[in-house]
Amino acid sequence: MAGAAPVGAATAETPIELRRGTVTTTIDGVTEKAPVELSYHWDRQHAGRPGFAEFDLPFTLAAEPATPWGIFIPRAGNVLEVRLDGALLQVYGDLARGNGADYAKAPIYVPVPGHLLKAGDNRLQIRIRADSARRAGLSGVTIGPATPVRTELFEGAYAWRFTGSVLLTAFSLIVGGIALALWLTQVDAGALGSGRRDGVYFWAALAEFCWALRVADGVIAEPPLPWPAWGVLMAACYAGWAASAMMFCYHLANWESSARMRWLRWPVASVVAGTVAASTMALYRQEPHWLTGWLAAEIVFIALFVGAFAVATVRQPNTGRLLVAAAALVTLGFGTRDWLVIRLSDAYGETTWVRYSSVFFGIALLLIVLQRFRAATIEARGWVATLAERVAQRERELASTFAALEQVARDQARTHERERILRDMHDGVGSHISSAIRQLQSGQASSDELLRTLRDSLDKLKLSIDSIHLPPGDVGALLAALRYRLEPRLAAAGILLEWAVDEVPTVKRLDAQGMRQLQFLLFEAISNVLQHAHAKSLRIEADAPAGAVHLRVIDDGQGFDASRVPRALLERAATVGVQLALESRPGRTVVQLGFG
Amino acid sequence: MLTPMNIEALDAGTTRRWGVLVVEDDSRARAFFEASVQRSPSLFWLGSAGTVNEALAWLAQTATIPDVLLVDLGMPDGSGLDVIREAVARFPGCEPLVISVFGDEENVLSSIEAGAVGYIHKDAAPEDIAQTIVEMKAGASPISPMIARRVLAKYRSLQLAGTPAAAAPEAAADNAAPSLLSAREHEVLTLIARGFSYAEIARLKGLSVHTVQTHIKNLYGKLAVHSKSEAVFEATRLGLLSHPG
Repeated sequence: MAGAAPVGAATAETPIELRRGTVTTTIDGVTEKAPVELSYHWDRQHAGRPGFAEFDLPFTLAAEPATPWGIFIPRAGNVLEVRLDGALLQVYGDLARGNGADYAKAPIYVPVPGHLLKAGDNRLQIRIRADSARRAGLSGVTIGPATPVRTELFEGAYAWRFTGSVLLTAFSLIVGGIALALWLTQVDAGALGSGRRDGVYFWAALAEFCWALRVADGVIAEPPLPWPAWGVLMAACYAGWAASAMMFCYHLANWESSARMRWLRWPVASVVAGTVAASTMALYRQEPHWLTGWLAAEIVFIALFVGAFAVATVRQPNTGRLLVAAAALVTLGFGTRDWLVIRLSDAYGETTWVRYSSVFFGIALLLIVLQRFRAATIEARGWVATLAERVAQRERELASTFAALEQVARDQARTHERERILRDMHDGVGSHISSAIRQLQSGQASSDELLRTLRDSLDKLKLSIDSIHLPPGDVGALLAALRYRLEPRLAAAGILLEWAVDEVPTVKRLDAQGMRQLQFLLFEAISNVLQHAHAKSLRIEADAPAGAVHLRVIDDGQGFDASRVPRALLERAATVGVQLALESRPGRTVVQLGFG
Repeated sequence: MLTPMNIEALDAGTTRRWGVLVVEDDSRARAFFEASVQRSPSLFWLGSAGTVNEALAWLAQTATIPDVLLVDLGMPDGSGLDVIREAVARFPGCEPLVISVFGDEENVLSSIEAGAVGYIHKDAAPEDIAQTIVEMKAGASPISPMIARRVLAKYRSLQLAGTPAAAAPEAAADNAAPSLLSAREHEVLTLIARGFSYAEIARLKGLSVHTVQTHIKNLYGKLAVHSKSEAVFEATRLGLLSHPG
């Protein structure tokens, strides 16, 4: 029999490729023995039924090898043990337990102990336990000197399968991490004040994380979940990656703002849901055609989607979209190839190509994410500048408004001051001069009377000028100025002045106008003494026994009827809010002003 | 040759007489002042000027030092302050008095800072005017409560501002480095601001009226010197004058 015939005798130092031998399979307790030509694709041979297989691979050596030898098994699993000439060399996993570890993911190298190989016939026996739909089986085996079997064949394959997976996982995690960080931090403050994050970042992150998990599976010999569940999860990751990448394209093409395209989200979601359902059916019912069929439908949908995206890109091209469209087309091509090879052909030991095209996709994704972030940053910087400019503008406006208000206030103050001066001129100088003129015209007034009128006029004018500088509420200063102005008149009239003015606190309620009124009140009181009282002495008192300021003008003149208070005095007192009290008898008249 | 007319003790029993120059643009007022001066045995009339230029020309070519200068501030061709400055610079013994209708704070203070030693009211009686001049020559200086308050406020703000006068370069124009008010001066000024008369202050503080008057006159001098040294300080600060030494 050709299958069982030993491979032709090889020279001692050339690797021997073992492809032919016999296989003994046990499925559901039924054992069969048959010749075999590797590779052996279990699922294809047994339609997804789990079982055991023992491969017997004979070979002949011309002489006992002088150098260390080893066995290179590109793919075998799911769990297996390796024997050489009856001696157990290595066990991978527990053959007594199914749906657990999967050693088919990475290539295997088994060193051959010295002196085990002998000149003549030798037999390599590999026993596997195959789980359903898990790509169990055995690829062609190479036995030969450690150099080159280990250094070239094994290490090359290992680098592609194992190290490649690790690097791909790391790359996807980095890209996903960046995208996730941007999604979390780049909140676009919308017009309604609600933060809106950019979907592009989210879908990029989700796609890359799904892909990282899917690729990491290549290095996980003993998955944390039992087989069918883990298989469903891995299928879901694969679909999640595809769906997320489509959603990424969906946002990139701005379809979310187009009512005509928004429905696309549902079929995209169904890609994941359908995959979960189909893989569950396929794995738990051990009927792989469910998944194969679903994947075919999925590929058709993705092809349509990618086509639509490509059209949209051609219509509105930009670097990012072109890059993604190219990556999507390549990935679509690779995905189709993988489907054909993995799901349909008998080829065993092949790896998927999508794992490599996904790198292009990841790079495109990263570029777009970074580009978009940069644009957003520049825009934000623009906003900050605009905002700063607006604040400055507002400050300038405020300053000018404030200046205008100040100007208005100044103008108003000036107007009030002007009105006050006019009123003073009218009530004081004006009325005095006109009465002086009347006195002259009537010819009846004595020159003394005329002089008094004019002196009154000038004194009032001086008091007006003094009042401009009087600090509001400073009654002491007001009294001092009044004394200074009126003392010459008192002296001229022969009236002795007694000054009994204590230091008094400021009267808060007296503003400039109030001070004027108080000045007039006191002036009237003193003027009355000068003109009518025939007094010998005048006493001015000021004190504040309980914090309330009291002013008193006391004379020793003839007195008057205190019940007939001059109307002008009462009115002025009311204006200032001062309590006016009068008592008068011959020899003592007191006019008291109280700020209670 | 300039000869002061008021040589001390010309004769035993002869009263000293003071030469008065009047700078006033109103001819009636000039006549009134001339009459007032002529009537006083202690004063004699030197002349009068109706404009600032006339006054400056008079000062430039006079053979007699004016003892007293009566100056109206509002002149048709400038400010009487210029005449005060010129007179004080030329004749340190000359004592200017400002003629003021109102004795208002702004004008009186700036006159004092220009070198005036007091002011007289335009509406005072003729005998009062002569009286004021003679008293002033005897050491009196009138000050109103309003001006006293302003001076107090000014010194208070100088003290708060770290006294630029004290920080001025030591070699200011002269040795009369301006000092702040003495405690006594401050007391007297405060009482004046509260309306007390010199006599009342003297009684309250146990001083003579003359001492009170001297305090006030010193104060006038300080104000003038202070304003000068302030100018020197400002000029030095601005680099207009090089620092001596």
